[in-house]
Amino acid sequence: MNAAPQSARRIASANNAFFVDTVCFSCRNRLSQQSRRHAATAAAVSDPPPATSPQASSRAAAPIIAKGPRKAYRLMAAPVLSRPPLLTRDLNSFEKAFYLYQKRLNERLAMPFSRYFYYNKGTPADPEWKRKLQARKTPSRDIGIYDAYGNEGWNDEVLVGDRTGERESVVEALIRDAEGKSIVEESEKDQGAVTAGDAQLGEGQRRETTKIEVERPSSRETEADRSGDVKSLNRKLDRTLYLLVKNHEGRWRFPEDRVYGRENLHQAAERILIQSCGINMNTWLVGNHPIGHHAHHYPSQKPIVSKISANALVGTSKESEKEEFGEKLFFMKARIMAGQPDLGSNAYGLQEWAWLAKEEVDGRVGRSYWASVKNMLVER
Amino acid sequence: MLSSSLRPTCHACALRQQIRHASLLRRPKRPYTFTQLITLSDGSTFTHRTTSPQPIYRSTKDTKNSALWNPSSQKLLNVEEDEAGRLKRFRRRFGRGFDAEAMEQGEEAREGEETLDQSQQDESLLDLISSYGQTAEKKGEAAGVTEEAKKSGKGKGGQK
Repeated sequence: MNAAPQSARRIASANNAFFVDTVCFSCRNRLSQQSRRHAATAAAVSDPPPATSPQASSRAAAPIIAKGPRKAYRLMAAPVLSRPPLLTRDLNSFEKAFYLYQKRLNERLAMPFSRYFYYNKGTPADPEWKRKLQARKTPSRDIGIYDAYGNEGWNDEVLVGDRTGERESVVEALIRDAEGKSIVEESEKDQGAVTAGDAQLGEGQRRETTKIEVERPSSRETEADRSGDVKSLNRKLDRTLYLLVKNHEGRWRFPEDRVYGRENLHQAAERILIQSCGINMNTWLVGNHPIGHHAHHYPSQKPIVSKISANALVGTSKESEKEEFGEKLFFMKARIMAGQPDLGSNAYGLQEWAWLAKEEVDGRVGRSYWASVKNMLVER
Repeated sequence: MLSSSLRPTCHACALRQQIRHASLLRRPKRPYTFTQLITLSDGSTFTHRTTSPQPIYRSTKDTKNSALWNPSSQKLLNVEEDEAGRLKRFRRRFGRGFDAEAMEQGEEAREGEETLDQSQQDESLLDLISSYGQTAEKKGEAAGVTEEAKKSGKGKGGQK
């Protein structure tokens, strides 16, 4: 059932209530612009403006409705390969102080800990719990020594420079508690050693209990951090790292290449990753749309005739020559899960590669390139 | 119908004037919470708030050693669950001839265990007997042999 053109035009007219209800706002705008343009050209055809006659005579071949010939630009794609952060960020001093204070406040606001629900009377866990509780006066291990219901319950703020709220001391306190020691270093006689007399050693001698050693978690600052190894993916675990390569001119940029044949940006970016960094990388290209662009117009408006050779990896590419006025580069987001770049057999003459955080990319990349790139890179 | 109010107010007027009569709220009874350090199977740690008084929780099965969340890990793909050691007992008695195709490359070493050398792994007479049918099957010649084996299996079941 074909709608007659007359009825379509009737629907498209702005007054129509059916048009307003069923067609979206952006489509309505576009349709009204088109109708306005048709009306304007119809008016232009009917009475040609006299002022533009010398220009009109030079461009006699071009019809009035069409614009001048568009300039061709080199279409390029560049994968922005990133390793997302593996650790959560560090807390700043305000956050640490706030959380410590809130935890201490919680002591008085929440219901008291029901010990006998977890530690039954008569079990060995019971005196163990009581011993540990005596040292720190509170069931919690991460707020230091604080008794919410005692005479010093009002004293819930810590002094400046106190390390109780730091993440390292919280984790250390939890691990010490798991090892059976009290959370703070106390005098030797209160350490986890039994003071009962041993039959062999004699009365009053300390008997060594079996020491439980719990492995501490690795440091957040890795070896790569300390040595500043920019080729390592283990550096700056709380930041996003981006892959930059040094091209044959010595410029640091994201790996880039032109788009050949009928491939789309996604396919081009995948091919560029393989052609520049090898196949030993487990990567994932996110989405089909670019995350940024960089346009470079060749100086003095003069076009460069570039010879485009067919790319072996793109089936639909062929040899051609095109006059190009500049380059338009589109960035595609990609993630790396495993592997490292290998520039051994790269097709672009790339010299070096590095995994850099956002401010380090700023240091290595050109000014106009950075202006195009900085808003698509993540701060963290 | 009796009139509901002496001073009727429109909706807009009511919004402009705030009504802040005090109302009694029950004091919330929140359980006592601790901070706990969770250790995942790959060694990574994080802290969280919980009602459990245990200082450390060691997780043995989580996203870090699950095949679904680590699709490119071959090690996790070949893991064979052998709780209670029943598979190991079966293999000791009847050999590896009945193993699935994926297991024929050799058992993947679990954490803490060492990989056994091929020669050291259990080899029994039944291994050779049961594997005979399998190799012939692969060559595509022994269609008749496998059918016989199936029939005998059913017969045994019927006799019971």
